[in-house]
Amino acid sequence: MRALPELFDLRVKARSLAYLFTAGAGLGLVTLAFPHDEDVKDLQLVLLAGVAVAIAGVVYIQAERIRGWQLHLALGLGTLILTFANYYVGQSSLYPLLYTWTALYAFYFFPLGTALAHVAFIGLCYAVLLVSQEPASPVVRLLLAVGTPVVAGLLISRLLERIGVEAGHADERERALRQSEARTRLVLDSAPDAFITLDRDGIITTWNVAAEQMFGWSAIEAIGKPMRGLIIPPEFRARHDERREAIVADPAPVVTQLYDVVFERRDGSRFDSEATVSRIVVGDDVIISGFVRDMTERHRRQEEREELLRAQAARTEAERVADMVSGIQALVDAAHRSLNLGKIVSDLVAGVQGVLGADAATIFLADEDESLRIGASSSGTVPASVPPFPFGEGFAGRVARSREPVFVQNPDPDMLSDPGLLELEIDSLLGVPLLAQDAVIGVLVVYASRPDRFTADALGMLRLAADRVALAISHARVYEREHHMAETLQRSLLPEKLPKVPGLDIAADYQPAATEEGVGGDWFDVIPIPGGSAGLVMGDVAGKGLAAASMVGRLRSALRAYALEGHDPAMVVQQLNRLVWTDVGESQMVTLLYVVVDPTEGVARWVNAGHPPPLLLGGNGSPRFLEGGTSVPLGVLPFPSYEESSAAMEPGSSLVLYTDGLVEVPGAHIDDGMSRLMKQVDGAPENPKALCQYLLGSMVPDGAPDDVALLTLRSVPMSDQFRVTFPNDPESLALMRGLLRRWLRHLGGADQEIAEITTACGEAATNAIEHAGSGRAAPYEVSGRCRERDVEITVRDFGAWRPPRGGDQGRGLALMRALMVTVEVTPTREGTTVRLRRTLEGKGGPE
Amino acid sequence: MKEGLVGIEIEERENVVVARVTGELDIAGASRTGDRIAEAVPTSVPGLVVDFSDLEFLDSSGIAMLFGLARTLGGRRQQLGVVAPPGGPIARVLEIVEFERAAPVHGELETAVAEIAR
Repeated sequence: MRALPELFDLRVKARSLAYLFTAGAGLGLVTLAFPHDEDVKDLQLVLLAGVAVAIAGVVYIQAERIRGWQLHLALGLGTLILTFANYYVGQSSLYPLLYTWTALYAFYFFPLGTALAHVAFIGLCYAVLLVSQEPASPVVRLLLAVGTPVVAGLLISRLLERIGVEAGHADERERALRQSEARTRLVLDSAPDAFITLDRDGIITTWNVAAEQMFGWSAIEAIGKPMRGLIIPPEFRARHDERREAIVADPAPVVTQLYDVVFERRDGSRFDSEATVSRIVVGDDVIISGFVRDMTERHRRQEEREELLRAQAARTEAERVADMVSGIQALVDAAHRSLNLGKIVSDLVAGVQGVLGADAATIFLADEDESLRIGASSSGTVPASVPPFPFGEGFAGRVARSREPVFVQNPDPDMLSDPGLLELEIDSLLGVPLLAQDAVIGVLVVYASRPDRFTADALGMLRLAADRVALAISHARVYEREHHMAETLQRSLLPEKLPKVPGLDIAADYQPAATEEGVGGDWFDVIPIPGGSAGLVMGDVAGKGLAAASMVGRLRSALRAYALEGHDPAMVVQQLNRLVWTDVGESQMVTLLYVVVDPTEGVARWVNAGHPPPLLLGGNGSPRFLEGGTSVPLGVLPFPSYEESSAAMEPGSSLVLYTDGLVEVPGAHIDDGMSRLMKQVDGAPENPKALCQYLLGSMVPDGAPDDVALLTLRSVPMSDQFRVTFPNDPESLALMRGLLRRWLRHLGGADQEIAEITTACGEAATNAIEHAGSGRAAPYEVSGRCRERDVEITVRDFGAWRPPRGGDQGRGLALMRALMVTVEVTPTREGTTVRLRRTLEGKGGPE
Repeated sequence: MKEGLVGIEIEERENVVVARVTGELDIAGASRTGDRIAEAVPTSVPGLVVDFSDLEFLDSSGIAMLFGLARTLGGRRQQLGVVAPPGGPIARVLEIVEFERAAPVHGELETAVAEIAR
């Protein structure tokens, strides 16, 4: 409760004082008009009245600017003027009564203490006057002159105070309300948050300055329009309606909700915001009000602030424990040099124990299911011997659950999650959580056998250590996870071992992208197709990472299945396209090159779905890209037409299949890379494996950003000699005959003699297959050599020769002898060699 | 009907079963081919002609199959005839193993069928 005098402002007080002075001067002059004593000095009194009026004038005029001390000075001057007036009037008058005026003024307008001070000043002035005038009974005069205004002043001021406070309160309330409204408007308009109110139908009724700035619509434009159409993006309008209706219908008297909302500005740009929405029911009326805060700026500021705080905290802390930092840093540096999690953790545990002077230390690692296991312990505990335990269990579990440092003295043995500690006498435990990106990734616990080992500084240092340890561990974990994923991906993408296809030499190489996350969609495969052909697959799934890899896995199995069913390349690719189109749904794009090479016919047939063309080199003629057989990538159209193209593959010629990583250089056109490849193969090694390495080495720089897969195939060269190894399988005989016929044709043999030599050789090969029996299926080798026109064919197996037992075998040998000039069978411990010779007569039969 | 690299077509001409074998006959398909042909010959018919006119390759396992068929049919008092283009590699192989001793080899299908149907 405030005292009455403070309710008047200085202007009122000043003007009242001016009136008082004027009235006093006027009254003094009026008394002079009446008959009075001789010793009254009229002239002096008129002068004093003039001074009083002058002071009144100044005070009145300066009322707007007057200050509190000036008012007191003026009142004090009034007291002095009265004293001089009393002096000039003489001791017989009643003028001292006038002191009551100034005293009452003080009581009325000043706080009680100040008023009493003025009365004391009045008493002092009057006392000086009385001493100089020496009247009869001066003490009584003084008491009456001072006591009267004091008693009256106290009573009046108390009465006035009671009335005034009531009146003042009412007045104050009204003013406060007016001020509050103005303030509210001011606050709303100067608020950084947009403030919007809606009626029950969602029509905007309030739109403050911040809303104007935030959304770009002025209040005049916005008020009266539905909010949904103005600032809610189309896809969120239905949700806005639902929320608004729910808020209107909510039975609770006051509803407040916090939403994360995306709004659209007038210029169409969008921003994330936080909206605090309240509903107030006023009678039948519903008001929905909302503060919208643009979170983009706030997030940024918060991050800046946090960054600043972090920096400050780190600095302070670092300064405080400067000595220890170097020790901890050294051990963490050591940890960072290794990326092996196990090694890091055990190094850290030893380091932390040393740096903090603890008797033992344990690092517990958290798993994603909120369980802890021992990562390393200096107590001698073997980490694997302790089963994982959940957060909340034991001391370490408590630290993990609370996410705060915990200190315990004289721990219960049950609390020690590390059994190795039971052997030590543990007096105190100090544990800190290891936090990385706000997740508990582990707990660091140090132990002391003596009390008072862990001071407040120790906690600070341990926290500091924990920060760095957490960083080191999380780095190692991320690395391990990525590394593991990359490895898994790579394994699933690539065939572990290329199958052997007789008559063809095939090699492949794969260079993963320099960055771990770059591993992805390249894949290749070699599928042996019954009948002796090889299916070569080179594909590239758009995208990287796990999704691309799983796609590759599915495509790879599907393609194998279709190829082994014996479909033509075009059909295989068409079926694969169906799979990509229907199964994947999303616009997933896959480029694929599928080539089937028949070594006996010497033909490559292919379908190219949007992939870089294969390169054919060697044989007769210069290297060329096989441009035909192209169509759109897989997954682009439901029924694209795939047509195969074919090209002759002469003996000794090679095919190079590759992914775009081989020919794509950042900033250069893919055609440049292809002409570079064309130049590079000139003079390249012929052996497929060496060719792969040569191309990767010369075309792809170290640290290339993309994967490169490369597949090279060479058709067995057939000059005057050839050598092919076949699997021990009757099915291989047809392929062997095909290759042999091809070689003999190459040598210029006539049809009849080719057929006869092939029959003889087939008998030898049949024997080789039968020799291996049902035991281990060792391959057999067929090699041919021609000097002049003399052909020598050798069939070697690695089984035991069976002597002819009549029947088939006897006839087989008879056939060989009848069809060839000489037949030598050399059985050894390791196997049998059959050497067949004949001289080619040349083209005599029909071609 | 195709067994691996071997194709087999069975028909009847003038009450004689004709088995036309195409492709390449080697150890991978010989015994299955022999079984399929033997099954296709009912005891009621006078005999079987194995037609190798379009066969591309024949080795000792194919010959063993023919000898097997000859034995089976002989036991049932049925006749076997083989057709192979004269001068071709098939005829040459049959000649080397003296298949003529087991069954006649004809140059033309008609003559082979006519001889058995007679």
